[in-house]
Amino acid sequence: MVEEAEIENLEFKWGKKRGIGGKKKDVQFYESFTYDGVEYTLYDSVYLYKEEESKPYIGKLIKIWENADKTKRVKVLWFFRPSEISNFLGNDQTPENELFLACGEGVGLTNVNPLEAIAGKCNVVCTSKDSRNPQPSDKELQMSDFIFYRTFDVGLHKVLNKIDEKIAGIEVKFLLNKVDCQKSSGALKVDSKKKNIDKNATASDETLISAQKNIPENMTAKTSAKERGKPSLVKQKSLLSENPASNVDVESGGIAKTSVLEDVSTDSTTFRSKAKENAHTKISSVKQKSALGERVPSGEGAGIGEIVRSNRLENLPGNKSSSSSKVEFEKSKAKGGKVLELKEVVKSTKDRGELDNRPCKRSRLDTSVEAYDDKIKNHMQNLGRDSVWNGAKPKLGIIDFENISKTKVAIPYGIDGGPFKKQKVDEKLIKPTNGKVEKTSSIQPSIFEKKTDKRVLEVARRPNLDRSKWFKELPWEERIRVAHEQGTLVLLENLDPSYTSTEVEDIVWHAFKENCSAKMIQRIAFSSPHSGQAYVIFKTREAAEKVVTKLDEGCLMLSNRRLLVGSVRTPRFTGKQSTFVGHLVIDKLKFQMQREMREAVSTSHCSQPNTLEYDMAIEWCMLQEKLDCAWKKLYEQQGQELRKLKAKLKPK
Amino acid sequence: MGSSTEAEYAAFLEKVRRTVYLDNLSPKVTESVLKTALNQFGSVKNVQFIPNYLESKNIQRFALVEMDDSNQAKAVLSSMGEFPFMMSGMPRPVRARAAEVEMFDDRPIKPGRTIQCRWLEPDDPDFQVAQKLKRVVRKHAAEASFVLKQQVDQEEKLAKQQADALKQNYKKYELLDGILADGTANRLAWYYGMRNLDD
Repeated sequence: MVEEAEIENLEFKWGKKRGIGGKKKDVQFYESFTYDGVEYTLYDSVYLYKEEESKPYIGKLIKIWENADKTKRVKVLWFFRPSEISNFLGNDQTPENELFLACGEGVGLTNVNPLEAIAGKCNVVCTSKDSRNPQPSDKELQMSDFIFYRTFDVGLHKVLNKIDEKIAGIEVKFLLNKVDCQKSSGALKVDSKKKNIDKNATASDETLISAQKNIPENMTAKTSAKERGKPSLVKQKSLLSENPASNVDVESGGIAKTSVLEDVSTDSTTFRSKAKENAHTKISSVKQKSALGERVPSGEGAGIGEIVRSNRLENLPGNKSSSSSKVEFEKSKAKGGKVLELKEVVKSTKDRGELDNRPCKRSRLDTSVEAYDDKIKNHMQNLGRDSVWNGAKPKLGIIDFENISKTKVAIPYGIDGGPFKKQKVDEKLIKPTNGKVEKTSSIQPSIFEKKTDKRVLEVARRPNLDRSKWFKELPWEERIRVAHEQGTLVLLENLDPSYTSTEVEDIVWHAFKENCSAKMIQRIAFSSPHSGQAYVIFKTREAAEKVVTKLDEGCLMLSNRRLLVGSVRTPRFTGKQSTFVGHLVIDKLKFQMQREMREAVSTSHCSQPNTLEYDMAIEWCMLQEKLDCAWKKLYEQQGQELRKLKAKLKPK
Repeated sequence: MGSSTEAEYAAFLEKVRRTVYLDNLSPKVTESVLKTALNQFGSVKNVQFIPNYLESKNIQRFALVEMDDSNQAKAVLSSMGEFPFMMSGMPRPVRARAAEVEMFDDRPIKPGRTIQCRWLEPDDPDFQVAQKLKRVVRKHAAEASFVLKQQVDQEEKLAKQQADALKQNYKKYELLDGILADGTANRLAWYYGMRNLDD
């Protein structure tokens, strides 16, 4: 077979046709398709990958079609992660693996994406007790990546406990659990994976799935013993796997691997060898060494997924071992270990950096090394932030995932990889634009350094919790009102007026280890030049109270020897105001005046000197001037007082 | 990375320069009112009201109006400085000033700044001074809010005074209108042998 054709075939195949549509009847709808060796059917849940997001988006396919120009499109009904809608969840603690199905009408319900944006299948089980929903078995629940039983109305911005009859025009029965499909799916997946590898398919897609799985699972791995098991398993292997990692590009990877395999588990050797053979065939068919380097890890990546899966099934089938040389993953684990040992965060990041670059560069040769390096850097920062082992773990998942997804781009698309990727990202960007794409605030967390003077904290960016800002947050006025009612609102004073809201959030994070959202109060003409104020909303009332007492009893000194003051203050809410002091209306003439005022609205004007209005306006101007002077005087005096007091502080 | 944030900040400063800050605005002033009003000086790019969470309810509103370029902003400033400018009512004029960085809600972080914070130990000699400083900060805030209250009072006083003056004036004109309308003026003219006012 010609190599190219082979790749093409494996990459994509349409399934069952559904009907045609469009204006000229030139749009063909489908019910299923095979992409990267995975069969997708209508109403499947899938991952959609976006570059800047550490977590892929999750949605349900509700329409699949091909346009006249051969572009393939899917319409996706979104699921929301709790973190994406945390502003609307209130104080509910939601498990990481809970999702919310979008419903209602508005932005964020569905989007049309290029089919290529799909990064893999996702197993989402509906646990709603709703009678329409076929109840999932325990096994299904265990196998699920995510569950959902609530919906999120994108129009009302509300979490709902019920599921509507129809969402986005789709009858609800399609959106809930499929009758009897779920059971076989797990097995099918494994099968298909095997097939993939047999056929020397680009296993990368699976890789993606598995990699992604790692993320959520690692993240949820907070306590449950079952999930605990996974990381530790992986950890053990990390030692073993370093050899193969380095061997990969020597082309003898296969052999080295087997030895490892035997160490880890023996029953899977058959599968193993298959993988090896794959590697070999790949060498021959793909010719380029670089490709080899990339493929092998990708195959191995698929293995990760299997481990995870088999773990879940709790019968540890042999496929496990095929993954023994998950290069990046393991390596990064090892790195994680470093964190613990070195503790000196900055230094350790550096060390890790060195470690990092070696294996990965080798295996991936020159393709996208740069991008990858960036990722690593990012990742290191992530690690750096949490010096605790636990904290570091979820991040490892990310790097792995990013890695592998890169691989994916590199392989199946060949030269096209770049543009495709672009497209994906672009397409995905459309989504968040309905909220604001607030990249500035979220993306780059960096290291939180402890300086030699252990009491002085350099305020750096804090880790961000709510990464996704799909929706406009509620207007601040509303948020402040709610926060005040719940007692989570604190007014901080004596900030440097030039601080931004995000900087205030960072300060609070570093001083109190509390996440919050802050809003600097915008300066107006007569605001104090000495003391900037900010409203800060904490997650809980306890946190808010703690912060206030801590600020009261202790002294938190910021740059420029500012002492932060915190208090609970009743905010004033600007209600509807009908009258405005200084705009005169004569009662009897109200009607007429209103008409005139309407005219005045359209022609807002400068007063001319020969009118009564002008005289009165001049009176106002004089008052304004006078008040200005008063403010100036006041602030001058206050500035002096502050200077005098600050002089008493010991000189720095 | 560094240069891009700096570029972003520079662009922001440019935006500040072409923006005018307006206060003494009536709550009736909406974005479209502002736009029509200031389009006579150039073209308005963007209008943003500064929300006011702290001060008392019945207070002027504030807005940032971004013009097309800094010259237009200057034009707004100079003509509003020259003449009292009425918007959605009279006679209290709207006041314009050059915008300042801190007035913007969406300002980017100033590049190259590091913020440090530390907790003072209670045995630190600075601790007492620090406590005092905090008290002073609170006192200053209270002073400011007092002055603001004074300001609102004075504004109300002036408004009342003007309203009274206007009422008197109005009464006078109404009286004149009245005697003209019901023929009193004519009768008086006839009585005193004067020429009819209507002629």
